Amino acid sequence: MDAESAKLLAAGISMGVGSLGPALGLGMLISKALESIARQPEVSGDIRTNMFIGIGVTEAVALYAFVIALILIFVA
Amino acid sequence: MNRRLVLVAYLLVGLVALAVLAIIPGGEREEFDVAHEFELQPIVELPSIGPVDLSINKAVVYLWVTTAILVVLAVVIARSIKPVPSRFQYMMETIYDLARNGIVGSVMKSGQVTWFPYIAGAFFFVLVSNLIGLVPLPFAEHNQFGFYAATANLYVTLALALCTFLFTHYAGIRKNGFFRYFAGWAPSSAPPVLRQLILVIHAVSEAFRLVSLSVRLFANMLAGHAILGVFFAMALIFQSYLAALALQMGSVLIYLFEIFVAFIQAFIFAILSAVYIGGALDQEH
Repeated sequence: MDAESAKLLAAGISMGVGSLGPALGLGMLISKALESIARQPEVSGDIRTNMFIGIGVTEAVALYAFVIALILIFVA
Repeated sequence: MNRRLVLVAYLLVGLVALAVLAIIPGGEREEFDVAHEFELQPIVELPSIGPVDLSINKAVVYLWVTTAILVVLAVVIARSIKPVPSRFQYMMETIYDLARNGIVGSVMKSGQVTWFPYIAGAFFFVLVSNLIGLVPLPFAEHNQFGFYAATANLYVTLALALCTFLFTHYAGIRKNGFFRYFAGWAPSSAPPVLRQLILVIHAVSEAFRLVSLSVRLFANMLAGHAILGVFFAMALIFQSYLAALALQMGSVLIYLFEIFVAFIQAFIFAILSAVYIGGALDQEH
């Protein structure tokens, strides 16, 4: 395998594996938030705000993988 | 009976159209590279001062457009405020209320009045900048219409995140005093060795806030625009009008999703800024 194809393969793998964890995390986070909204609809505003903060932090992990994939393809 | 015939006729016409589309070969394949859309060519060449290149490029023009829209919007609304809001005023009041009560009010414990202007400013700036990224503007190469967002550029989002970073520590130092603020990074009840370790860990996490805040916005907008670009160029890539038609429907869905993402990313940027500044103001230890 030459360096160019190894780079492309690495970019694909980093994106695929790197989005696995955040995807599971987002699913857990949002399902728990919806559960608690269903249980206590009167504090849904607070829960939604905190859910978005959590989404932002969880999503960042996938985006690091995305940036590394971009670097592998275009810069390295 | 008559309606059924009309329906069948429509169906037949549609099927024939699809068959024709499948038979006709697609357009000549032109060179298309999504990454090319995000390259910044200078529109007006200006001399550089030291390492700082002052040339005006696409991102700068988009920032200007964002600023102009925000200024005009603010002036128009401030001039025409009425007790009974018009539809336009009501919409702006809803977004203002989101910034005031949804972001600042629900996250910050103190300093709401002091820091509301900055957080609302960041929210509106990122929001408008994200949204005009979805409107084709004639700033691409050779004055063609193209999609670009200033926030799909790492330097722009890094500058925004740097504002939040600096304001966080400025707010913390102003409220708590220089030494008390940095001492407040670690709980005073911890043993001294552990406390130093916690201080180091906290300093690293502060630095990574800068990275995550800027990269999140940048990567979201870049990924969204890259996917939109690929979907719009499907006719060129697959060389088939049938595939292009099917995928254009997908591109409409992605476009709608991108409007949602533009809102969410502006919201997350503002709310994380509020969390960071609020955390520096009211230290827990």
